[in-house]
Amino acid sequence: MLLEWMMNGHAILYTGVTLAFWTTILVVGLCYTIFDLGFRFDVAWFLTETSPFMWANLGIGLAISLSVVGAAWGIYITGSSILGGGVKAPRIKTKNLVSIIFCEAVAIYGIIMAIVISNMAENFTGTTPETIGARNYQAGYSMFGAGLTVGFSNLFCGICVGIVGSGAALADAQNANLFVKILIVEIFGSAIGLFGVIVAILQTSKVKMGD
Amino acid sequence: LYCTTSQRYTLYSLLQQIAPPSAGHIVGQQQLTSYLQKALSDGPRNVVLFLQDKMSIEDFTMYGGAFGNKQDTAFPNLEGALMSSSSPLVLPAVSWPASNAVIGQLQDHLDTSPLYMDPETLSQLRLNASSPALLVFRLPADLMSAKEILSGNDEVIGQVMSTMKTQAVPYTAIYTALRPARVRRTGSRMNTLFLPSVSLQEGEDTCILLWAKGLSVSILRSGRWEDHDLTPSTFGEAVSPKLHGSSCDKTKAKWVGPCGAFRDHIDTHQRHYKVSARRWFTLDSVQLEYDSIKAKFNASRSVYAPAEFSYRCQSVSSFRWPQLVPHAVNDPANHAALYSIQGFNVTGGDFSYASDCAGFFSPGIWMGLMTSLLMVLVLTYGLHMIMQLRTMDRFDDPKGPAISVPQTE
Repeated sequence: MLLEWMMNGHAILYTGVTLAFWTTILVVGLCYTIFDLGFRFDVAWFLTETSPFMWANLGIGLAISLSVVGAAWGIYITGSSILGGGVKAPRIKTKNLVSIIFCEAVAIYGIIMAIVISNMAENFTGTTPETIGARNYQAGYSMFGAGLTVGFSNLFCGICVGIVGSGAALADAQNANLFVKILIVEIFGSAIGLFGVIVAILQTSKVKMGD
Repeated sequence: LYCTTSQRYTLYSLLQQIAPPSAGHIVGQQQLTSYLQKALSDGPRNVVLFLQDKMSIEDFTMYGGAFGNKQDTAFPNLEGALMSSSSPLVLPAVSWPASNAVIGQLQDHLDTSPLYMDPETLSQLRLNASSPALLVFRLPADLMSAKEILSGNDEVIGQVMSTMKTQAVPYTAIYTALRPARVRRTGSRMNTLFLPSVSLQEGEDTCILLWAKGLSVSILRSGRWEDHDLTPSTFGEAVSPKLHGSSCDKTKAKWVGPCGAFRDHIDTHQRHYKVSARRWFTLDSVQLEYDSIKAKFNASRSVYAPAEFSYRCQSVSSFRWPQLVPHAVNDPANHAALYSIQGFNVTGGDFSYASDCAGFFSPGIWMGLMTSLLMVLVLTYGLHMIMQLRTMDRFDDPKGPAISVPQTE
């Protein structure tokens, strides 16, 4: 059975890539240790020399993209269930669009946050860590963090709403009374996406990029 | 180098009383003198010296038939002589000032002047067992290949040996060269193109080492920027800069440049840092004195290295990737290119391992790698999802009728 699992192309590829990655890390770490060059492994250098703009834009990109992944996943799960169930029970079609809208809301949170965060990105003159200044670094990291926050929250929220919505559609096809009850579960699932948005707003409230 | 005695005298124990040199040991002047003394005091006083221009042990290895090809050897006469000799001695490595001086030494020992000969003139000579004689054969080294030269020399040796046999006089033969064929360079490369480094000597030890390819300053004088090149005065070859005011001890080192229109002060200090648990040294400041103005630059942010290593950078300046930060606004620019400094733990005259100011990856490379890695992850994720999409095939029946979907609601 192991052999069958190994014959799977995915497994071989992922195993190979993971192995290569960790081997590289191990060898590099060993070389640093053996040659007494550990002092050159400088995390502070990495954090101060990389541009705050990179972090900010990564945050913006992740905010929208992860939210959209969550929303898309949710819609695809719910949508296929609605369509499948709708073949035999056409009455469920209209009511269950609410589940789709919940999933879509997650994507909307993502794009709103992306626009809010991107409005905070300003130009600054400064090329060395001293001249860039602490405020710009804080801005870059905050925007990155906010983007991650809203992105991941919406990702899992979208998946959650999607799976619950799919269940709702199939249950509704069997018994029309069940839909309203399951909708409450969906509302709870949707709230967690909103939490992510709130925390991201808090993170970027003190951001002031520029000179 | 070998000494042979003729078969007449069974002095085989002569040179075996002296221990032959260990493998790899280079015989110096003193040791060679002792060998020669032993050979000449107890052995025959007639010495035949074959002097080649250049010689090295590699020639014997390459052309001596040492790889199982005895028939190709370029030294048949030499080998024959060694084998037939009653007291051979081979010194594989003799320091070349010693071998160069062997004529002089033999002259002193035998108390006779050398006679430069070739094989034809030897047959005309009458040798005497009692009176000493020093016969020197200069072996030619024309622009032929090494093997031809060696074979030719071996021929000469063979002729001389046979002539000496007919003379029936005991003799000692020595085969050596004036200089080695291959000069072995040990240690670091000689960079005669580069300027030597400036070092502060504290008694026997070197304390501070500073080297730069160029040192130039530009100053704002009466409204105009002037450039001055301080390289020749600080690092020139004929200059031994007077480093008055320089000092160094265990924790602080100060280097003061030579007196002149411009004077450089470089302050460094080293201390133990708790978090990294090692000693680091930093270049605190570079002060430039000119026209009774002192311009100070801070360098501690970027010029630092662990205390055992030296610091090296392509350019240490206050403009263009500035490492030196000026204290006040209108200070002059100070620029030094290709720069190495070590203030502590200097052993010998060389810099220790150079902690370079440029790392392996630049910040740009790191940023690119991070972003690319993220995008590759996204791509992998997406690909994985698409590739494991499966359509429902449970009810697929290729031979059955196609499904019919009614048009009504």
